[in-house]
Amino acid sequence: MIPFDLAEPKSLSEAIKLLDPDDATVRPIAGGTALMLMMKAGVFRPQKLVSLRKIESKYSGIVASHDGLRIGAMTTLGVIERSAEVRKHAPVITRTMITLSNVRVRNVATVGGALAHGDPHMDLPPVLMALGATITIVGPKGERSLALEDLFSGYYETTLEKNELIAEVHVPSQGPKKAAYMKVTTGSADDWPALGVAVVMEADGKAIKSARVVVSAATTKATRMKSAEAALAGKTVDDKVLAQAGDAAAEDAEILADVRGSVPYKRELIRVYVRRAVRAAIDGQGAH
Amino acid sequence: MIAARTINFTLNGAPVTADVKPHHNVVELLQAQFGLTGARETCGQGLCGCCTVIVNGLAVSGCLYLASFIDGAEVVTVESLDAGGKLSPVQEAFIETSAFQCGFCTPGFVLMVTQLLDEHPDPSDDQIKHYLTGNLCRCATYPEVMQAVKLAAKKRKGA
Ligand SMILES: Cc1cc2nc3c(=O)[nH]c(=O)nc-3n(C[C@H](O)[C@H](O)[C@H](O)COP(=O)(O)OP(=O)(O)OC[C@H]3O[C@@H](n4cnc5c(N)ncnc54)[C@H](O)[C@@H]3O)c2cc1C
Ligand code: FES
Ligand code: FES
Repeated sequence: MIPFDLAEPKSLSEAIKLLDPDDATVRPIAGGTALMLMMKAGVFRPQKLVSLRKIESKYSGIVASHDGLRIGAMTTLGVIERSAEVRKHAPVITRTMITLSNVRVRNVATVGGALAHGDPHMDLPPVLMALGATITIVGPKGERSLALEDLFSGYYETTLEKNELIAEVHVPSQGPKKAAYMKVTTGSADDWPALGVAVVMEADGKAIKSARVVVSAATTKATRMKSAEAALAGKTVDDKVLAQAGDAAAEDAEILADVRGSVPYKRELIRVYVRRAVRAAIDGQGAH
Repeated sequence: MIAARTINFTLNGAPVTADVKPHHNVVELLQAQFGLTGARETCGQGLCGCCTVIVNGLAVSGCLYLASFIDGAEVVTVESLDAGGKLSPVQEAFIETSAFQCGFCTPGFVLMVTQLLDEHPDPSDDQIKHYLTGNLCRCATYPEVMQAVKLAAKKRKGA
């Protein structure tokens, strides 16, 4: 890697001051797993990295309350995976972790990095979006709250300013809602996904009241499939309803071709896997 | 020129000091300044496990870990396993089941299996496979590694 400077501020506010709204070569670093890959490949050449690893410890922990979880941005995926509170409030997250990368990456990668990177192939963004998560963003002018679905603006693009940081993620309790995440890999079993589908529904048996359906990896960014959600809301699940939801998502998705599949292939994957994910959620099978 | 900084950490139980630059990773540090070659950079992308080291009790990929970040940490490498002159149960099990051919991936596997057995003393096949998804063996000794894990689990219980 090419040389760069490294700052290690002791607080979030100090870190924000060290960032430059106009300079993309100054960037925060958390676990570094995503940034190191980009730096090694030479696609990112920083002047200076601002490490968040020494900021206040409250940003690397999980607090549960009656209505959900508050997860500090610096919390590692491994801590989230092993958290009894996460398993209780949002078991779909715990299940998602098993096939997310590997033990060593999860021990280092943070949830803040997984969201701020804007990488459409990551597994947590669709799951957290389907759960209705919001994030707290802190910048020079103070704090703001944002629905996670409004964070992603394009392929590796977010609505964060260069001197704003994600401080926390708020995840509403899953409660009686039914949820599933399906990760479709077309290379090795534990490869990055060719498609991710997350579904969270309020349902009474097979009668769906409301649904959130999020598709990722095949698309330019994790995206709510509102037409599929509409096809499910108020319906009782049967083959016809499932097919309508799958078709609606397949029609609407903005799909990107890459080494993991062509546009028509991924469109077909979406059609099939939206169906399967809804059925898995209704049957209480969760994720694979 | 970006200046080097001095970091202090514990390496296999002994307090040490090193001079690192911000762009150095842990593998570079261990090889260049401590002559430890058990962790080697291979894929360089977090996928293969050849660079495994333990930082504060957790396995990490040394190839994706900035050396500066181990300031103040406890670092354990594969070289610590036979420190008392005796192979660890996991090392013995790898030899007895021939769970390697060329041996290039072995230090990483041995460390990861040690961690696996600390967390799951009696792992199921599924647990073993999930835990070791990030370790690749070009010689494809995976079936023998499965046997080695089971033998090591037995040895550790007996010990
Ligand atoms: C081998 C390998 C396999 C992987 N497989 C998968 C997979 O199957 N599924 C999956 O979902 N992911 C996978 N990942 C990606 C992994 O989840 C991400 O690399 C990780 O989540 C990024 O977190 P980090 O803390 O390391 O981020 P960093 O690399 O430190 O940062 C990533 C980006 O986020 C920014 N950033 C970090 N924290 C903040 C913050 N608090 N506020 C604002 N900006 C911030 C940084 O500036 C940078 O742009 C894999 C990674 C590797 C190396
Ligand atoms: S060299 Fe680090 S995981 Fe392969
Ligand atoms: S024994 Fe040769 S790479 Fe594993």
